[in-house]
Amino acid sequence: MNGEFSSALTFSAGTVLVCAVTVVGLSSIRTVIRVVAVQGVALGLVAMVLGVQHRDAGLVATAVVVIVLKGVAIPLLLVRAGGAGAPARERRPLVNIPASLVASATLIVLAFVTTRGVARFVGTSAGALVPVGVATLLIGFFVLVTRRRPVFQIVGLLMVDNGIALVAFLCTAGVPFLIELGVSLDVLLGVVVLMVLTRRLRTEFGDVDLDELQELHD
Amino acid sequence: MEIASIFSPVYDAERFGIQLEASPRHADGLLVTGPVTRNMADPLRRTFEALPEPRVVIAVGDCARDCGVFRGAYGVEGAVADVAACACGLAVASHVLATGEVASFHTDRLLPLSGLSLGLDRFGVLFVAVTAVVGMCAMVYRLGYHGHGLSSRTASGILPLFVTALLLVPTASNVTTFLFLWELMAVTSLLLVLADHRRRLEVQVAGQWYAVMTQFGAATILVGLVLLSTRSGSQSFAAIAAATPHLPASVRSVAFVLVVIGFGSKAGAVPLHVWLPRAHSEASGPVSALMSAAMVNMGVYGIVRVGDGLLHGGPAWWWLLVMTVGALSALFGSLHSATSGDLKRLLAYSTTDNIGLVLLGVGASGLFASTGHRTLALVALIAALLHVVFHAVFKGSLFLSASSIQQATGTRDLDRLGGLLRRMPFTGTIFLVGGLAMAALPLLCGFVSEWLLLQSMLHGLPSTDPTIAVAMPIGVAVLALTGGLAAFTLVKAFGIGFLGLPRSESAAFAREVGPTMWCGAGVLAALCLVLGVAPFLVIPAVTDAARSVAGYRTASPLTGGWQVGLSGVHDVLAPGLLAVVLVTAVGLVALVRWRFQPGAVRNSEAWGCGRELQTARMEYTATSFGEPLTRVFDDVLTPSHDVDISHVAESRYYVEAATFHSSLDDAFERHVYGPAARGLRHWGAIARVVPNGSVHRYLAFGMVALVVVLVVVA
Repeated sequence: MNGEFSSALTFSAGTVLVCAVTVVGLSSIRTVIRVVAVQGVALGLVAMVLGVQHRDAGLVATAVVVIVLKGVAIPLLLVRAGGAGAPARERRPLVNIPASLVASATLIVLAFVTTRGVARFVGTSAGALVPVGVATLLIGFFVLVTRRRPVFQIVGLLMVDNGIALVAFLCTAGVPFLIELGVSLDVLLGVVVLMVLTRRLRTEFGDVDLDELQELHD
Repeated sequence: MEIASIFSPVYDAERFGIQLEASPRHADGLLVTGPVTRNMADPLRRTFEALPEPRVVIAVGDCARDCGVFRGAYGVEGAVADVAACACGLAVASHVLATGEVASFHTDRLLPLSGLSLGLDRFGVLFVAVTAVVGMCAMVYRLGYHGHGLSSRTASGILPLFVTALLLVPTASNVTTFLFLWELMAVTSLLLVLADHRRRLEVQVAGQWYAVMTQFGAATILVGLVLLSTRSGSQSFAAIAAATPHLPASVRSVAFVLVVIGFGSKAGAVPLHVWLPRAHSEASGPVSALMSAAMVNMGVYGIVRVGDGLLHGGPAWWWLLVMTVGALSALFGSLHSATSGDLKRLLAYSTTDNIGLVLLGVGASGLFASTGHRTLALVALIAALLHVVFHAVFKGSLFLSASSIQQATGTRDLDRLGGLLRRMPFTGTIFLVGGLAMAALPLLCGFVSEWLLLQSMLHGLPSTDPTIAVAMPIGVAVLALTGGLAAFTLVKAFGIGFLGLPRSESAAFAREVGPTMWCGAGVLAALCLVLGVAPFLVIPAVTDAARSVAGYRTASPLTGGWQVGLSGVHDVLAPGLLAVVLVTAVGLVALVRWRFQPGAVRNSEAWGCGRELQTARMEYTATSFGEPLTRVFDDVLTPSHDVDISHVAESRYYVEAATFHSSLDDAFERHVYGPAARGLRHWGAIARVVPNGSVHRYLAFGMVALVVVLVVVA
């Protein structure tokens, strides 16, 4: 029974990381939103598996909230934001896609090297997956840094949050339900604000490229 | 009353078309002549509403416009509060002085982690008493003083806070309390300096200099005291003092040097003095007096408290450092005050000069102590502390009377003053007394302390220790030179400002200031005289202060009574006797003149030598009087002249107008602070390139930081 839990855990955590790398390799906005939805569901599954394993009703409830919010609600919002008149692709990322993939590989290696100590400290089989969470976080950050389209920025932010949540689930067998709920709602709020901002920017300036905001400096 | 007489037949304002109207409904304008009190406010408003459109309100006199000295009664209340604070301080101080017990107070509620801890010992009480006396005089003075933004509500509120902070700083008995009160003092004084910043650009510049220097000083004090408190494991001053003998010499030295830098900047010691002439001359009258007579003392307090009290003295080089700083400050300050043409700037530089002398005494005391001459060390410390007290008294009176002059004439440029003694007799006399004390002339208080300082250094001369044998003659020479320059300064300031003919309209029409103002300054001037004749009134308290801070168990080395002398030495100063002799001599001369001179025959000039029509343009000005000194010391004073001549269009040989500018720059400001400021600005410009507004770059900073943290932690 334990082995099945373990492999289910490894599968869903691995899915989170694979989704992250997939986002780096894509430029179509529509597809990226779907991938992030899958990542949210996978994150929820991690929580679900842990909750069932430890017979923790709060963790299961958290998992349901995560799946609903990150797997369904936020992606739907993103699709609606990207709806009318928005360009469908990221045309000129600051770092091109092959180079980004190499960079993500480097970041994954970095995450595994630097968090060995944490994994060993936690000790459980779940703890061994902590580097996956950190790698997701770093890749999310990388997307934030290198992509120009606002939707990609939101996606990057989501991935950073997913990475943090994953580490939290794996290390402590789940943060308290209320806190997870609070964090998730924060992310939802952040996404809503960013989307409103994006839409306003688009109506004011036409096509939005974040680097053009540089002129607002000083 | 006056309004009614305007319409009387004598002045007959009606011929100009102005008529008094019985009813506001027929009037064009409303004339308000006094402050609007609460009772009158309502009738006034109703009258105003009854006026036909367009309404014109003419406010006559200062009182109606901004209530003048009665401003909302707030200023009056504020001043009363200040006086009360000072009186409390003085009461506590005199109690401690009389009984010798240590008052202390501790509460955990006010400051987190350490608690507010106050304690008044015999050393701190000296500074509290000085501040209280100067503060009371300044607050009495402030009742009649207006202008310089001091009557604004903010300034009125902050002034009592400043005085309270000044009174409390010497009572702080742990590190956190001290730093808190120190910052409170710095911030409130900065706000008071800036009170008039809207109207004059120089105030803003002075405020910037002061803010930077005072924060720099506070930072070094913070590091020095925190170093001491962490290494000794406690932050109460008593525990630190008990633990410091066991600390390594390097820690003690680093802490001492840091603290000397910090307190030196507050004391206005060269080269950290640059804020002082600006801030002191731009601050309003009472504030400049408080800063110059009470706040700079806190720098001396800090150096002595840490050097002698917490660290129990140290190696000779510490004190040579203090002596060097003191000697440099004394020379530089006295040179600048002798050549400056701005009355308050002159006094501010003189503060640097006098604090330099105090530091010279403190340094000499430490040097004597480090070489085993304990009695001489005590004498030098007493002389230094005595000079702190006396300097506060005479500099307070000088700054207050200089501010009176500024209020009466609207300028503090000596070249535009003159002949003020006849127009402002009280202020002139007060300035003369304070100036004589500043020049360290006998019968006045400055003389006693400088004499004592000179004695202590002279008696170190027979020492076999080479350091003392080299340092003391230099100290004596510096003291002698600054004394001469201070006398020169007095002759210039008094001679140019108060004697001769007025050099400008504003000086010609100057009028004596109100009684509260000259009383406030006059009390301090009277103290100069009293303490100069009877220094035994304060010497016991000062001796106790010096003995308690440095832990000397030896008996007082000074013989008391009407004479001041060193026990075992034949040199004795009896200012009282001197006064009697002098007064008798002057009386005799006057008697002889009166007895043998025939009646009042006034001789008029047969040959006037061209001076029959003496005008102000024939007189010396402050600039011309200081010119020889400026030429001799032009390397230090770096004078700059600029003559601008414009010619008549028809011929180059006819001059239409000639303008002449001359200014004295502070050499440190030009050669040290100028390059430093330029360097900082350069680096700032470079640093501004890094955040260019790109969101991606900012995010990249975050990511790089995250990765670095991960790598470092792992």
